[in-house]
Amino acid sequence: MRKPLQTLWLTVIVVLLYVPILSVILASLANTRYMRFPHRNWSIGAYTDAFSQHETLVLHLASLKVAALVTVFALVLATLGAMAFARYDWRGRSIYQKAIVLPIFFPQPVLGLALLLFFSALGITPSWKTAVFAHLVWILPIVTLVISIRLFGYDPAQEDAARDLGATRWQVLKEVTLPHLAPGLISGGLFAFLLSWSNLPLSIFTTGADTTLPEWLFSRVATNYAPVVSAIAVIGTLASVAFGVVVLAALWIQRRASRQSSSASASISTS
Amino acid sequence: MKPGPLFALPVALFLLVGFAAPIVIVGWYSLIEPRSFDLTSDLTLANYRAAFTEGYGGPFYWSIFGALLTTLTCALIAWPTAKMLHARAGRGAAIITGLIAVPIFVSESVRLFGLSLFMMPGGGILAGSLKALFGVSIGTVLNTKIAVYLGLVYVHFPFMLFPLLLGVALIPRDRIDAARDLGASRWQVLREVELPLALPGLAIGALLTFVLCIGANAEAAILGGQAVTVVTRAIEQRFSYAQDWPMGAALTMLVTLVTAIVVFPVLARIDLNRLIRR
Repeated sequence: MRKPLQTLWLTVIVVLLYVPILSVILASLANTRYMRFPHRNWSIGAYTDAFSQHETLVLHLASLKVAALVTVFALVLATLGAMAFARYDWRGRSIYQKAIVLPIFFPQPVLGLALLLFFSALGITPSWKTAVFAHLVWILPIVTLVISIRLFGYDPAQEDAARDLGATRWQVLKEVTLPHLAPGLISGGLFAFLLSWSNLPLSIFTTGADTTLPEWLFSRVATNYAPVVSAIAVIGTLASVAFGVVVLAALWIQRRASRQSSSASASISTS
Repeated sequence: MKPGPLFALPVALFLLVGFAAPIVIVGWYSLIEPRSFDLTSDLTLANYRAAFTEGYGGPFYWSIFGALLTTLTCALIAWPTAKMLHARAGRGAAIITGLIAVPIFVSESVRLFGLSLFMMPGGGILAGSLKALFGVSIGTVLNTKIAVYLGLVYVHFPFMLFPLLLGVALIPRDRIDAARDLGASRWQVLREVELPLALPGLAIGALLTFVLCIGANAEAAILGGQAVTVVTRAIEQRFSYAQDWPMGAALTMLVTLVTAIVVFPVLARIDLNRLIRR
């Protein structure tokens, strides 16, 4: 295919992917009972309504609580898991690698239902805490893969070198291993947070009486629409976008800093 | 213990409890008397018999058919897209790839809600704009199976594209040139050089799309109206309204079985290290 045609194709794909998101934003910019686009009166009334409702805060806090805990647990466990996935070669590794990705290749709503039954069988009342557990079952394998990708590019000989130079185990971890892993940890944490924040299929079945943001949106979209629903959808999405931007900026700064320090050490060794 | 297995232990244990154990429990529930909750009762296959005789064929059919159709559609759109992105290295391609990735992190409920607002008749975004700009009135596919299909393709396209990008990256450029020089047609290059080399990525993408679609229920709930009952919806109804857990469990096990039949053969043949390692 010729180049202009290719550009057109790619543009159409990207535009189509954003049309629904844009539609929510457009719908949120009027405060009429029924949706009638194009709006006769554009307004940000739906947003002032959303911010004045206590429920908006409660929903965001519930999602934040779940996503923050999922991120912490996922990072700790996945870092260990990634070591076994990519750093060490051991008997049984290929089975381990395939076994831990299985939850990714499993229908999420079905996993949610299975976990709901599992919690009931154990006599555990579902709440936001069980949702943290449920999210982890799906997100932990993903974060493990993300960190593993980074670890594959890691030369373990650096650790031996540091140890030969008299570094303690802790120093090796702090000065050699973790700095190399940092970009993987940052993107892994980003994945964990955003995937948990936006998750619908697992939350629906495992939060019990608590409600996360996507769940609430789902129930309101299916039953009684109001512009405030669009406004809260936009606010919730912008919150995650802001989080993503901050983390990516951190990643960029970290990358620049490590490039500078490596070029500095390179200039020292050549001089 | 050696460091490998030692590091593997926490994740392995967690997934044993969080993934394997629930499936075992569901399997157990599926074998007890219909409408009972007692795990110590006698085991029976009654629920599975009911699954095949009591009209659950429809939901299974629609979920599997929808998953196949979506996988095929996504593959057909993602293949040229992946090749174009791979061909234009550098900043432009990185930006486009990033733009395609971002919607994955926007909640399904937001995106499907947006799609329904877009497709709404009368005052919807598309219908309203066309009416205001060109005076054209259009109907809507909202609340039909077509809307569900469009929603499935929309949500799952990135899950096909990204593994496929990894797959396409496995095709050495000179291999295509060599085939061309030896007189191969475009079609022959595609069939005998590109597809086999990119197969690991294509297989992972297809697998992911198919498996995610088979359980998908939000698309049907938000876009489909009453047009179609998908299998997850059928299971959910057994668990909630009908209070028939063993029946719901049996249906869950059947979906798990379909998933396993597709996943295991593909996963067994693919070398994850090769696909991930750059």
